[in-house]
Amino acid sequence: MGLVGIATEKILSSFSVFLFLTIILLAVARRISTSVLLFSLQSAIITAEVLATGFQEKLASAYLVGILIFVIKVVAIPRAFFVLTKRLKTVHDVKASTTPSQSVFVVAVMIYLSYAAVHSYGGAVRAPGDSLAAAIALILTGAFLMVSRKKALMQVLGLLVMENGIFLAALLTTFGMPLVIEIGIFFDILMGLLLMGIFMFRISDTFEHLDVSKLRRLRG
Amino acid sequence: MKIMVDILQLLLLILGAPLVRGIIARFKARLQKRRGASIWRPYVELFKLLRKEDLTPPTSSAVFRLAPVLLFGCTVCVAAFIPVAHVSALLGSRGDFFLLVYLLGLGRFSLSLGALDGGSAFGGMGASREALISSLAEVPFLMGLVALAILSSRADITGMVAWTLHQNIFNISTVHILAFTSLAMVVLAETGRMPVDNPTTHLELTMIHEGMLLEYSGPSLALIEWASAIKLHAMLALLIALFGPWGMAAGGSGWGLATALLLYCAKVTVLMVLLSVIESAAAKLRMYLVPDFLGVASAVSALAVIFTMWVKR
Amino acid sequence: MGPIEMAFAYLLSVLGVFVPAILIVSRGARARRLAITLILTAGVAGGLVAVSSFLWQTTSLLDLSWATPFPFSFAVDRLSAFFLLLVCAVAVPVTIFASPYFDLHYSEQQRRWTWAFFSLFLLSMIVVVTASTGFAFLAGWELMTLVSAALILIEGDSPERRHNVFVYLLMMHVGAAAVAGCFFLFLPYSHSLDFGMIRAAGAAMPGGIRAAVFLSAFVGFGAKAGLIPLHLWLPRAHPIAPSPVSALMSGIMLKTAVYGFVRFAFDFLGGGPWWSGYVVLVVAAFTGLLGILYAIAEHDLKRLLAYSSVENIGIVFLGLGTSLIFLAHHSLLGAGLALVGALLHAFNHAFFKSLLFLGAGAISSSTHTVDLNELGGLQRRMPVTGAAVLIGCCSIAGLPLFNGFVSEWLIFRSFLAGSSLVDAKAGIILPLMVGILALIGGLAAACFVKAFGVAFLGRPRSAEAEHAQEAPLGMRVGLWMLGAGCICIGILPGLLLRPLVSLVQVLVPGAGVPEETLSIAYIIPWIAAIVLGTSALAALLRPRARMARTWACGLPGLTSRMQYTSTVFSKPIRSVFAQVYRPDRKVEQLPTDQPYFPASIAYQSVRTTSYERVLYRPFVELFISLAHRLRRLQTGNIQIYLLYIFLALVSLLTFLRFQR
Repeated sequence: MGLVGIATEKILSSFSVFLFLTIILLAVARRISTSVLLFSLQSAIITAEVLATGFQEKLASAYLVGILIFVIKVVAIPRAFFVLTKRLKTVHDVKASTTPSQSVFVVAVMIYLSYAAVHSYGGAVRAPGDSLAAAIALILTGAFLMVSRKKALMQVLGLLVMENGIFLAALLTTFGMPLVIEIGIFFDILMGLLLMGIFMFRISDTFEHLDVSKLRRLRG
Repeated sequence: MKIMVDILQLLLLILGAPLVRGIIARFKARLQKRRGASIWRPYVELFKLLRKEDLTPPTSSAVFRLAPVLLFGCTVCVAAFIPVAHVSALLGSRGDFFLLVYLLGLGRFSLSLGALDGGSAFGGMGASREALISSLAEVPFLMGLVALAILSSRADITGMVAWTLHQNIFNISTVHILAFTSLAMVVLAETGRMPVDNPTTHLELTMIHEGMLLEYSGPSLALIEWASAIKLHAMLALLIALFGPWGMAAGGSGWGLATALLLYCAKVTVLMVLLSVIESAAAKLRMYLVPDFLGVASAVSALAVIFTMWVKR
Repeated sequence: MGPIEMAFAYLLSVLGVFVPAILIVSRGARARRLAITLILTAGVAGGLVAVSSFLWQTTSLLDLSWATPFPFSFAVDRLSAFFLLLVCAVAVPVTIFASPYFDLHYSEQQRRWTWAFFSLFLLSMIVVVTASTGFAFLAGWELMTLVSAALILIEGDSPERRHNVFVYLLMMHVGAAAVAGCFFLFLPYSHSLDFGMIRAAGAAMPGGIRAAVFLSAFVGFGAKAGLIPLHLWLPRAHPIAPSPVSALMSGIMLKTAVYGFVRFAFDFLGGGPWWSGYVVLVVAAFTGLLGILYAIAEHDLKRLLAYSSVENIGIVFLGLGTSLIFLAHHSLLGAGLALVGALLHAFNHAFFKSLLFLGAGAISSSTHTVDLNELGGLQRRMPVTGAAVLIGCCSIAGLPLFNGFVSEWLIFRSFLAGSSLVDAKAGIILPLMVGILALIGGLAAACFVKAFGVAFLGRPRSAEAEHAQEAPLGMRVGLWMLGAGCICIGILPGLLLRPLVSLVQVLVPGAGVPEETLSIAYIIPWIAAIVLGTSALAALLRPRARMARTWACGLPGLTSRMQYTSTVFSKPIRSVFAQVYRPDRKVEQLPTDQPYFPASIAYQSVRTTSYERVLYRPFVELFISLAHRLRRLQTGNIQIYLLYIFLALVSLLTFLRFQR
């Protein structure tokens, strides 16, 4: 088996624990930089999982996807966030509308719900139930971040966390998507982020702030 | 024979407590680019206090005099629950963790009453804040321990430790990670360390635990300081015993005990370094943010209890 | 008639006939002393009846059916014996306390009537726990309410007191109606209200009726016990009663409700429907939490104790709900454990709550106030009383070495045992309840640090507190009898646990002996030895202290106003739980030309408890508006009334016509 074999087995069986930890830490994080670091940590864990799957299932495309995730989500996107924060001169506070302990309670309920949802499926999934529950919990956490954080940058981060969760869920329930689709999804995300970055600048310039709770021109 | 080992463990916890405090203070000083006092300083202070006069306010009653001794008695009893190098403790196999937590509560109750008996404003302030923090800290404390008890199907400390010893150290257990997070936060709150309370503050308005001691002097103060040091040592030993007991001796052989003791010292050093880093890196929380801190600990411990359901079935 | 029956007949006749007769007929102090002695002997006789019935398993005691239109008999099985022991064990110290208390507080005339009603009150409670027919039970139930209301009104008669007594009577009768409904639901199946027939019928009743019986028992006994939201009367009635009567009300009367609930849910029904335990658990959790939160915010000692009774009843029902859940899942060992914990907590609460209310009575005799913000430094002036009250405070806080801890520990262990249930719902909810009980326990400890610390410790905050005198001997004896009981059960819990386990084995047939009861009985004396031994050693080795004034930061001296008061002590906790309290705050400033230097500032904070605002007011307003609308029917015009009669006749005829 070798050391690498044991390591991959351990990674595959227990990475969901660390994902849950990052979810809880995201709920209590108070600064944008901390949240971004947690996001890149999450993506690193997912990269490890993808590489481990590739090693076990002996899929070459998995290695490519893993490297892609690493480059884009662990390195490029967080760097873009940091650059954006500096350029926009935003205050670091995340402007949460719930206190940290309330957020952790909500996250605990969401983790419970995701486990309950997975258990009702029974054994229809290929991977252990923990991992699928972690993926669903990531999706719910992303949605929760978008809802409860009032900074526009946090909305984007919430979207990215959701995308992490969707990607993980897709990975676990199918036998690996075709490479073309994966690459397509990645470029989709990149374009979307580029556009959102441009919009951030425009919003900041026009309104002098990035607080979405104050942007209510759409009210009827 | 086993009784001797258990009594020696208890003595180690009691007599080694000021040393733990001294080492943590030294680590913190070095992290803050100071030289720091000698690690044996707390012993010197205890001897100094024991030789000084014991003063009592004329308006106080017998409660003021009795509070320090009762606090000391309760803390010594708590230390008797916790295995250190051998998988047994004086009260470890018959006493369960509910007793442990509530004995700590009895000690804290008597200290709060002693503080109120001093008749000054700072005693009341310390007692009132301590009442808030302790009532909220009991929830994650008990729930974290309940999560571990559900996994091991035992409620006594030695039973839980023995179960953990049989587990594979490389299996990552979600329940244990969550329980450790919440129990570590509780230990910070219970022992009055940063970010909940500053143990080295001189400003009365920022004091929580220290505020309750302000009227005490001489041997009574020595008893209280020693009791709080024993509490810190016992909490650290509890964390080690519940979450990392591998290496503890099960039999009575001298070699086994000696290696177990050395391993314990290494583990306690790791925890002390961790504590010093946290204390130096974190700023003290505003008092009304401490319930939030403990709320996070409660939520994490509740999650640990919920996770036991999926792990056990 | 055997000796036990004769003792019981003595008990009933003394309390019911002789004592009131003596007091009404003659006036002197000797008659009163004779009456009090008779009450004490009756109490001791009752205790002996209880213990011997328990040991020798006698049942039917007395049958008075020849004197009354409905069947009226008494029987003492193990459950009744336990509660009879509770009543008598608390009644004797309270009577000893009440003797000097009433001498100090009442005029001659008031004293006679008070003692007469006091003895009738004790009689009513004994009737309730020993009744073996529905009629006897309901008669005793009603007598309890009426006599206690009379005792409250003897103390004083003002519009506010009358309003509080009115609310009390109203809610008690709502509860009594539900309890009566409970009994009558059994009638079609048992054809009599005799407990034996009801028990036999309970097994054969259909599920719907069982659910209805359970619900009406829960509502009826819950209203009497003080479960939220039916506890409205407790903080109104208990504080205004004289302290010995409050002690009896809080200590014993609430337990009769627990007795009734246990009798119905466990004995007659053999466990409710599958959802019964969860309902009880949820209501009990709310009761416990809200009770202690309101208690912490109080600075009137007697209202604090009243809310604390609500909290403790919540804890008892947490144990009962857990037991019902275990029963529904046929886990008999867990059911037994939880039931032992609940019953023991009821017993313990009787002891330490009456102790605390008597302590409040001693304080009010000495200082004429029970406002914590006016007290202070009483421990130096009333050392014996203070020590007894300290025992009560430690017990109610659930600290080890005192009796409150043992029962809370048993309930905690039953929650932990719940994790081994197969059902996922219960397997998770029960361990999570540990958190709720931990919070309740922590807040209770904080509350009683405040209560004892502010009242007894530090400096006196008013002239009355400064000139307080030690309580008379009778009061001290009564207090210390209860205190000794608390310590006894706290250090040697096995004394009470073994009989309780055998009682539970009758109520939950098939339950074994839970080994937790054995382990706690074994370990607590050792812990007491270690803690007290170490403390004694430290105390002996410590040198004597010298008196020296507290450092006052350079000021001439500390005054009592520089201490923490009760309101301030609870401020951090009240801020954290602000959502529960929601006071109405008003700040009035008299302005002058300089805006930052007003002539005067007045701050007023009025707390209407939120459940009153949210639950009761809309209900009350709805009823009042409905009543207003119905008023239109009463026009006062005689022709309209004749029209109503005519319409009634016509509609009856049409109904009969279409019946064919």
